[in-house]
Amino acid sequence: MVLEQEIPQFSAWIGPALLAYLQAAGFVTLAAALLTWLVQAVANGPLPAGDRVYRGTLAGLADIARPSVRRVWALARLAIQESLRRNVLVVLAVFALIVLFAGWFLDPAAVEPARLYIGFILGATNLLVCAVVLVLSVFSLPADIKSKAIQTVTTKPVQMAEIVLGRIVGFSLVGTCLLAAMGLAGWAFVVRSVRHSHEIAAVDMAEVRGDDGEVNGFEGRTSLAMGHRHRVVLDAAGRGDAESEQGHSHAVAAVTGPKGTAYEVGPARGLLEARRPLRGTLRWLDREGKPATKGISVGAEWAYRQYIEGGTGAAAIWTFAGITPDQFPEDEFPRGLPLEMIVRVFRTHKGDIEQGIHGTIQLRNPASSLRSVAIPIVAREKSIELLWIPRRIDTVREDGRLEEVDLFTDLVADGRVEVWLQCLETGQYYGVAQADFYLRSGEGSFLVNYAKSCLGIWFSMLVVCAMGVMFSTFLSGPVALLGALSTLLVGQFRDFIARLFESQVSGDATIVPGGGPIESLVRLASQESITLAWDPTPAAQVIKALDTVLLVPMRLLAGIFPSLATLGTDDFVAGGFDIPAPLLAAHAVETLGYVAAFFVVGVFCLKAREVAS
Amino acid sequence: MHASANPAPARGTGEIVVEARNLSKVYRDFWGRSKKTALKPLDLDIRRGEIFGLLGPNGSGKTTTLKLLLGLIFPTSGEALVFDRPATDVAKNGRLGYLPEESYLYKFLDAEETLDFYGRLFGMPPAERQRRAAALIEMVGLTRDRKRQLREYSKGMTRRIGVAQALINDPELVLLDEPTSGLDPIGTREMKDLIIDLKQRGKTVIMCSHLLADVEDVCDRIAVLHQGELKELGRVDDLLRLTGVTQIKASGLTAGCQDEIRALLQRHGAADVEIGNPRTTLEDLFLDIVRDTEARPGRRARRSADTSSAE
Repeated sequence: MVLEQEIPQFSAWIGPALLAYLQAAGFVTLAAALLTWLVQAVANGPLPAGDRVYRGTLAGLADIARPSVRRVWALARLAIQESLRRNVLVVLAVFALIVLFAGWFLDPAAVEPARLYIGFILGATNLLVCAVVLVLSVFSLPADIKSKAIQTVTTKPVQMAEIVLGRIVGFSLVGTCLLAAMGLAGWAFVVRSVRHSHEIAAVDMAEVRGDDGEVNGFEGRTSLAMGHRHRVVLDAAGRGDAESEQGHSHAVAAVTGPKGTAYEVGPARGLLEARRPLRGTLRWLDREGKPATKGISVGAEWAYRQYIEGGTGAAAIWTFAGITPDQFPEDEFPRGLPLEMIVRVFRTHKGDIEQGIHGTIQLRNPASSLRSVAIPIVAREKSIELLWIPRRIDTVREDGRLEEVDLFTDLVADGRVEVWLQCLETGQYYGVAQADFYLRSGEGSFLVNYAKSCLGIWFSMLVVCAMGVMFSTFLSGPVALLGALSTLLVGQFRDFIARLFESQVSGDATIVPGGGPIESLVRLASQESITLAWDPTPAAQVIKALDTVLLVPMRLLAGIFPSLATLGTDDFVAGGFDIPAPLLAAHAVETLGYVAAFFVVGVFCLKAREVAS
Repeated sequence: MHASANPAPARGTGEIVVEARNLSKVYRDFWGRSKKTALKPLDLDIRRGEIFGLLGPNGSGKTTTLKLLLGLIFPTSGEALVFDRPATDVAKNGRLGYLPEESYLYKFLDAEETLDFYGRLFGMPPAERQRRAAALIEMVGLTRDRKRQLREYSKGMTRRIGVAQALINDPELVLLDEPTSGLDPIGTREMKDLIIDLKQRGKTVIMCSHLLADVEDVCDRIAVLHQGELKELGRVDDLLRLTGVTQIKASGLTAGCQDEIRALLQRHGAADVEIGNPRTTLEDLFLDIVRDTEARPGRRARRSADTSSAE
């Protein structure tokens, strides 16, 4: 899976993040207060305007400070009843239809069927739940104001904060129930769709004999299931693995009975899993074997992976920390360190396309520089390869002799060990990113991991719900829907806008080529390449200056608008990786921050509004 | 204009339930330009235990006044105090009940759910909510329809459940906006009886209406508004009493006796003497017919003795 940024520990970012949040909140509060004062000052003069802003702020804060749980629950119940009477449960039927049709259209013979099914189901669940909650939340309050039912409520001892919070809680509960139902059905669908078994008939296996005529092992293939079959290579004892296909493999064992030899194929490994990786940090050596800041770019627009040249001194080196016998106890890891890797290949000549590209893995003690022997690997692309690094491993002494050493005692220093990757074939390249190599330090439950991903959808739903309610406090239903959708759209591009702004201010066109909105429009109209730099003519300078002015508010808004994409964790589940707790904690805090902000803004907007006018 | 028929009790004694001082409302457009002056500066005191009527034609500012007292809209100038608290303070709402002009309720709830919801907003315990809801549903005659969603209710039924929600918290102050709107004559009579009953139980009632008969029948004091301005304020009896005119009522007089009385009055210099049979109201006539029909189903209604004699 792709992991473009490291996941920091909770304690490392929470302090600065809180500070940034408070700064943003302070900025928004000041801007809102100034705007309100200006509007009031035009109508009532500066002093009364200041007095109204001051009183309004105090009243709003008092409102927020003491919501009644009973009244909030009463209003939440009303929101739930409203949703049910509006037949919100129909969305479950829609989901059922989607799942039924998905069974027809999703191809179980895809390269990564688990990713396909999980991505589809979680994507559909996310879209449906968020869409339903958004529609409910943006139309409810305006409908109440239009039908004047709000007047009957606000003439009861109800604070505006309770009205806003009641709706957020109510619609969130509706969304939670929908999510639970869809999540459960989706999980069942994925498991039923992806799980499969193979059989091996005795006739499909053949003995493999050595030069001495002795049986060295067995070779054959499994039956066809879900559009694929596995090549099977067993040792002389009849044990081994089916080769990886569609991102998974199976354990195979020969069982000899009175009727002859039968083969037992185990459940799929690598499918519907929740790996717990121990990740390292990556550094590079260039073709001369000298340290480099990054690998070679092979021209791919997405610079996530860097490449090393085959048949040279170039290497990608991971340093793993925390490698101790306690972390990898022998009873749990009898075969040694489980190193999993994804190695992409860039070919400058075709070669035998059916064969992978050969390379080596070496372990190195970062303190003593002691190296293990090179372990050969074959990069097959796309699939995750598992390499067991044995506990007793040969190393190369200075005199060239081999010596078997203990992995943890001799190759690990202070819990750190280096893993070197090199490509052996001249003219071919290996492409890797930091997250592509990891030690599989544990195993989580797929069901729990799937539930964690649903939690990510839940976070998105909460943000959407609070935002919808916030917009509905001062806009009519359709306009509130449009406002919420626009906010989400800007949020989706917030990283791009931030990089665009940085590019514009720094003048570094390599960050985002093509310039700001006006420059892009001109380039589009004149069919000019985005990589072609403009001459510093007066017209070009005016356009760039205007772009910078336009980008300032965009950058500010992009800094505070939510991005639902960042709250999603379905890529982890689809890729078979356990969702890390620090990531969930970060998403929980981000969600809380947005919900709190939308709640406060909603309360002030509703309080400033004459609900009966 | 500040007017009061009787000397107002001192402020803060709790005797004045509602107080408006220089209260005005101007509706503005998006650009802040004055669009309509809904209420010109108004001074008003409403005392504990009275039925106060806001009377005036459509657009006179009655409902605006009520909304200002409820804090539903904000005054352009002046202030409104309810139970000595600013009208925008929601704490006051715990002691009042409000029946809006068209019973703005949630159509997807049934009668029980409606009263349960509003009871919850007052923080009433479940048992009390249930008891109170059942009693109010019984009182407004919706027992058989209590499980039907309000979207299926007729206008009169909606009005009744609206009254029930206004009384769910047994309020000290009840504000009724056009309380008899949409009700049939029987419902109108029951509503008026209810208002009088509330007064007898010590409640303060403020109602606004453009139906003069309704106001006259139940209100102790009225304020007459026209084009957003207070035109008259005082006790109904005082305002309607025609000084200098004497009315004599008697039954069983023969035509000769009536002539003698007329002659006697004229001898004493009485002017504009009228002797004839008084008219009942159409409301009384209708109620008589309905009661008689219910007492003797399938037969043509009998006219009451008073009505027959007047014929």
